[in-house]
Amino acid sequence: MRWQTVRTVLGKELRETIRDRRTLFMMLVLPTLLYPAMLVLIQQIAIFGQRQLSAAPAKVAVAGADPALVRFMDGDSAIRVFGAERATVAAVREGNVEAAVVLDAAPAAAAGSREARILYDATDDRSRRAQELAAARLDAWGDTLLAARLRGAGLPESFATPLAVADSSVATAEEAGGYTLGRFLPLILVLMTLLGTFYPAIDMAAGEKERGTLETLLTAPVPAAEIVAGKFAAVALIGLAAAVANLASMLLTFQSGIFRLGAAAELRFTLPPGAALLVFVALVPLAVLFAAAFLGLALRAQSFKEAQNALTPAQLAATLPLLVVTLPGIDFTPALALFPVVGVAMFFRELMTGDPPLIPSVLAVLSTGGYAALALVFASRAFGREEVLFGGGSGEAPRGGGWGERIRAWRAADRGIPLPAEAMAFIAAVALLFFHLGPRLQGGLGEGGLLASQWLLLALPALAFAALGPYDWRRTLAVRAPAPRTLLAAGMIALGGIPVGWSIVWLEMQLFEGGLESLVPLQELLTAADARRALWLFFIAALTPAVCEELVFRGVLLQSLGREMRGWHAVALSAGIFGAFHLSFETALRFLPTAFIGLLMGWVVWHSRSVFASMLMHFINNAFVVLLLWQPAVQRLAFRGESLSWPTVAGGALLLALGVWMLPRRADPVVPTPAPEGV
Amino acid sequence: MIEFESLSKAYGGFVAVRGLSLRVAPGEVYALLGANGAGKTTALRCLATLLAPTEGTARIGGFDARTQPLEVRRRLGFLAASMGLYARLTPRELLRYFARLQGVDERRIEARVEAMVERFAIGDFADRLCGRLSTGQRQRVSIARAAVHDAPALVLDEPTLGLDVLSGQAIYDFVADARGRGRAVLFSTHHMSEVELLADRVGILAGGRLVEEGTADEIVARSGEANLARAFLRIAREAA
Repeated sequence: MRWQTVRTVLGKELRETIRDRRTLFMMLVLPTLLYPAMLVLIQQIAIFGQRQLSAAPAKVAVAGADPALVRFMDGDSAIRVFGAERATVAAVREGNVEAAVVLDAAPAAAAGSREARILYDATDDRSRRAQELAAARLDAWGDTLLAARLRGAGLPESFATPLAVADSSVATAEEAGGYTLGRFLPLILVLMTLLGTFYPAIDMAAGEKERGTLETLLTAPVPAAEIVAGKFAAVALIGLAAAVANLASMLLTFQSGIFRLGAAAELRFTLPPGAALLVFVALVPLAVLFAAAFLGLALRAQSFKEAQNALTPAQLAATLPLLVVTLPGIDFTPALALFPVVGVAMFFRELMTGDPPLIPSVLAVLSTGGYAALALVFASRAFGREEVLFGGGSGEAPRGGGWGERIRAWRAADRGIPLPAEAMAFIAAVALLFFHLGPRLQGGLGEGGLLASQWLLLALPALAFAALGPYDWRRTLAVRAPAPRTLLAAGMIALGGIPVGWSIVWLEMQLFEGGLESLVPLQELLTAADARRALWLFFIAALTPAVCEELVFRGVLLQSLGREMRGWHAVALSAGIFGAFHLSFETALRFLPTAFIGLLMGWVVWHSRSVFASMLMHFINNAFVVLLLWQPAVQRLAFRGESLSWPTVAGGALLLALGVWMLPRRADPVVPTPAPEGV
Repeated sequence: MIEFESLSKAYGGFVAVRGLSLRVAPGEVYALLGANGAGKTTALRCLATLLAPTEGTARIGGFDARTQPLEVRRRLGFLAASMGLYARLTPRELLRYFARLQGVDERRIEARVEAMVERFAIGDFADRLCGRLSTGQRQRVSIARAAVHDAPALVLDEPTLGLDVLSGQAIYDFVADARGRGRAVLFSTHHMSEVELLADRVGILAGGRLVEEGTADEIVARSGEANLARAFLRIAREAA
């Protein structure tokens, strides 16, 4: 690689970026203003809210109280006491009073106790304040009564408190500030680094394509790798500059002491120079990761708009998991450190709170570097490929007209296999149906509903889509008789893949605690007590999903993705979507093993072009679960006590490898290139 | 200097160029005529190393576009239909950038850039951002960019598309000058007047095939039509 060329491209990209107001705003202006503005805003909102809340006394109704207690309550200027007629749930709910104190009847015995219940609305700030004020006043009244009783009995006041508990935080003001601010400042820092790379990546890749400059650039006598290196370096530098601008602004804002909120709350935020340097060191691979990933995605888009559409989900996927950083009780474990983006954000949090653990910190920085390298490979592989440079998606001109005209034109077109965009729209519609109607069917009809949801919400839409659209339904669904050797290989891959899949679950359990308990209902459903029940379970839990889900995922989805993507990419993406389809709110554990089996099934279908091969694999996989839960002999094969049977896992891996070796390969794995414009 | 030898290019099942063979000698101007979708841009992109031929070869100066792309690009001045200017660079900065990428000696870059500024009369707007230039001004900058490294082969994809008469004249002057200095020029166009004015030889592409080749006069004579436009229409219809 000639660095002279890389420098030339880098210099030109930086020069153009500096002249782009939008990027400059995101890179420098926004961070410079963001933190002071944010702090002032928070401060003003807090002050305003506090003033609003304390502007008027809390309206508290009291029922069943002695006149002395009523007078005592009324003695607090922050409370305005109302009569017993308003001490009802309805009055509190309607806002006639903010809280109500309802006392039991006075005890007959002098040493008896009575309950004072405070009614309030926990979702209303004024009501919560009234509850706090009333509770504090009642506590004080209780203390007065207790003191009188003790005096009557001739006992000292200390008699009632043999152990007085007091607490005092040993955290310094800096540590307290770090604890509070460290929960959200890392999130902002990562987000701003991401935003710093977002527009430059789109502009330098898809923007250059849209403006037609890329074609000219690629006729210069320099390797594509040198151009992409220059562009990547520019995006990464801009991202890093944005991150540094953010870091500097953040430090100046929170360490300057000119803002009253921190001082008033006795919170101070300081980041020692060493820690600030470490934040910077960790920002480098993070900026590289964002730059390479976004550049790789943007290069695959044909226009600025298309790139924005492609990068927005990626941006969300990168930022949503960051909420973990703000949650209490989340420790910076080695497993968490390995999570892309989250790991490095956790490292920032620990640096800001004061004492980052060594191993997770090193893991977070190194793994981010590793992910950045992978993203760089992803970006560089896009550059120079003609279908990426001139792809134009489907190669079809956009159509105008109303919806009726569009549908007629869609039906009249002859595509053979659906376009990836059409298949993704189909998957989205099926997911919507399946996740909204499926649980209702299952809730209403039990196991019958399970069957109905599979056949009516998956298989039927897939068949209708393939048959009614302008497609060759056989190719769309991969309906092709497999060779006997293919079926044998598919069976071996499925059987061998099962114990390998267990080892993935085992590994997940080592890294993340818990999760299995949420699978108990599924386990109960799939446990057969006798052969008759087992046969039924084989039908509803193995055969049915094998047919219905395969038509959707290895049929419509994989075949359409394979139309415009490389084989492995199509298989991996369809497997990822298949895994995501099996995610539940209770557990994420099922994603990886399901995606793994999806990968195996996709690979077999890609080579055999037969959905029947994956139906067989899917059936074997699910039927084995029923068998495992039913037959103790199979359980002994799978487990040794509480642990996995590793010889079985090793045997499975061997069988899997043998199946892969046996599978007849596809003769023409080359992906057809769509025709560009201006043929 | 420029050679196509049995070149074919397919996109999946669609064949855009079929067995194209033609040669352009140094000092010769060759016009590639064809309707939209005839395969002109694909053929030129194969020569410019932007697309890989499915079969056959495209060569410049004896170097194969597929196996020796960098050697081919060193000898190529390429003007794409889209002009390819950076909106946030000035013409001077753009010329410097491409001169560097094209491997012009660092000590000669400034002199070369100034020569282009003078040759294509872009001095008045040489320090204005390209995004603020008129279409004609941008096309002059584009030509200067394609000529900055003084390549022996020039490939121009519809160079006068969307230009007014005055701006088009700058292209004609440039092509005539290049021929005078022994450069091989291959350009694609729809305009018969350009072909008659500039081209030494003409090739007509239809359905991806080279269906006719010769001087404009020869093609008109063989077709039995009165002029090149009618001859082209007849040949294109017959080929369809």
